[in-house]
Amino acid sequence: MTTTTTSDLRSATSGTAAALRANRRRRAGRSILVTCALTVAVAALFVFTMMVGSFRIGAGEVIASVLHLSDNPSVDFVVRGLRLPTAAAALTVGLALGASGTIFQQVLRNPLASPDFVGITSGAGLAAAAGIVLLQAGGLVVSGLALGGAILAALAMYLLAWRDGVTGYRFILIGIGVAAFFEGLIGYVLSRAQLFEARQAMHWLIGSVGQASTTELLLLTGALVVLLPVAVLLQRPLGALDLGDDTARTLGARAELSRAGLLGTAVVLVALAVSVAGPIAFVALVAGPIANRLLGPAARGVLPAALVGAGLLLTADLVAVHLLPTPLPTGVVTGAVGAPYLLWLLATTNRQGAGG
Amino acid sequence: MTRLRAEGLTLGYDDRTIVDNLDVTVLDGKVTAIVGANACGKSTLLRGLARLLAPRAGTVLLDGRSLAELRNIDVAKVLGLLPQTPVAPDGITVADLVSRGRYPHQGWFRRWNDDDHDAVARALDATGTADLIDRPIRELSGGQRQRVWVAMALAQDTDLLLLDEPTTYLDINHQVELLRLLRKLNAESGKTIVIVMHDLNLACRYCDHLIAMSSGAIVAEGAPVDVVTGDLVEQVFGLNCLVVPDPIAGTPMVVPA
Repeated sequence: MTTTTTSDLRSATSGTAAALRANRRRRAGRSILVTCALTVAVAALFVFTMMVGSFRIGAGEVIASVLHLSDNPSVDFVVRGLRLPTAAAALTVGLALGASGTIFQQVLRNPLASPDFVGITSGAGLAAAAGIVLLQAGGLVVSGLALGGAILAALAMYLLAWRDGVTGYRFILIGIGVAAFFEGLIGYVLSRAQLFEARQAMHWLIGSVGQASTTELLLLTGALVVLLPVAVLLQRPLGALDLGDDTARTLGARAELSRAGLLGTAVVLVALAVSVAGPIAFVALVAGPIANRLLGPAARGVLPAALVGAGLLLTADLVAVHLLPTPLPTGVVTGAVGAPYLLWLLATTNRQGAGG
Repeated sequence: MTRLRAEGLTLGYDDRTIVDNLDVTVLDGKVTAIVGANACGKSTLLRGLARLLAPRAGTVLLDGRSLAELRNIDVAKVLGLLPQTPVAPDGITVADLVSRGRYPHQGWFRRWNDDDHDAVARALDATGTADLIDRPIRELSGGQRQRVWVAMALAQDTDLLLLDEPTTYLDINHQVELLRLLRKLNAESGKTIVIVMHDLNLACRYCDHLIAMSSGAIVAEGAPVDVVTGDLVEQVFGLNCLVVPDPIAGTPMVVPA
């Protein structure tokens, strides 16, 4: 009896299987298309930012110079010496922010849960500001302090939010509390500072891709080369985790371990990004939702989100440096664009009752 | 030989013990209902059986081995559970959600093959949700949504399936529809099914075996015809009632006195 019903079921499913295949193919196709289109767009922006400025250079010359294919001292000086570091910083910092933002949002299951809101960026900011003001530090020391501050803040929050595991809502609330505490301390540190150091600290706190040193860039690039593939691989447990812990465990995922791995990866990425460029606001918050809009819902695309982050930051840098009458730090532009998005997000999530 | 049983199982949250020193045997190939008043520990027991809650004492044995010794992923190939209020990411479609039931059968690099396709397609067909695959979960009615979740649990393709109050938020028509579906699955594939539920009449009508719980202990267990009496209902639910045969199936039916 069982055999006949099983074969009946098998034959009945052929139509469904075909529809399912078509559905899968469509989603996979869309994902590949979006990723390719984003890669092309980011590459184009990357080259374009090195073409414009007071000394205009053609795309071909820029590419040739970056790849060491030509030998033109004046072009090489402008491209490799002046523009490449900034463009590379915007690219890598954007990738890191986009990837870590979407991981945070997905693991904690809340669109507001980007690292700039849950205190990790503020932890970096506090450490950096304290270093600049109290230790008169500069350059790599500040970056190192920022890195340590971000990681310590993340660890502190993870421990504070721990109660038989970490849930999204607790983590976010504690993160917001921690962020407020750190912001207060940053204010205190700045109020104690001399004018010159306060200015320097303020500049760092707004965030700019123009301040990266070669060593920092190499470190961030190395981390991206290792951690982006790790993040893409960890998308598998993410597919179980975002159905809630009970379902995730039922499906055989090690929920706590996967979450710690994902958050750890995201924290290192965002900490390095912040230590290179300062706390650039909103890129981590908006990259994931934009990528999801492009990919379709619940697509978990870490790579597309990273590419969106890079695209956003390259654009923000173009606007900050070239379109505005006076060049501004990148963080001002991302903040001005990101704040309305945040308001819209708060308004719409509340309306759907999904704000937590 | 039973595949899933618990010995001396003690479960609790924080400093409260909910289920104390319980021995339970889940009958293979049967549909079992765990019934009891609110807060009697029936959902806690189910969570313990599905290793969502670590035992304070005692063990849960799957195929003779303690759940604590087995890898999560290996348990997940044999034992599935549908939680009481499952959550889904915003905007997820039916096809995507049901496909995620294949998680334990896939590896880090082996992602998707014909077995997965077949299992998902069978689950969709069995639950009558095949024409919904492109729809977001959010837009579905309560009954459709519950069938989609059952489809996800079916796609996991486990021999044992536990369901935590799957009928709670459904109207009477959808409750019956879901229970019939579970009966059908049990008849066709011999799947062992355990359902935690409130409605004693539906449990008697659609389940082979009843486990009645009160304050964390099992008060009675057996075929509904044998165990459901006025005294038992009085003892478990505190309800003074009359038990009469169901006019259609002849199973016990509880009528408040």
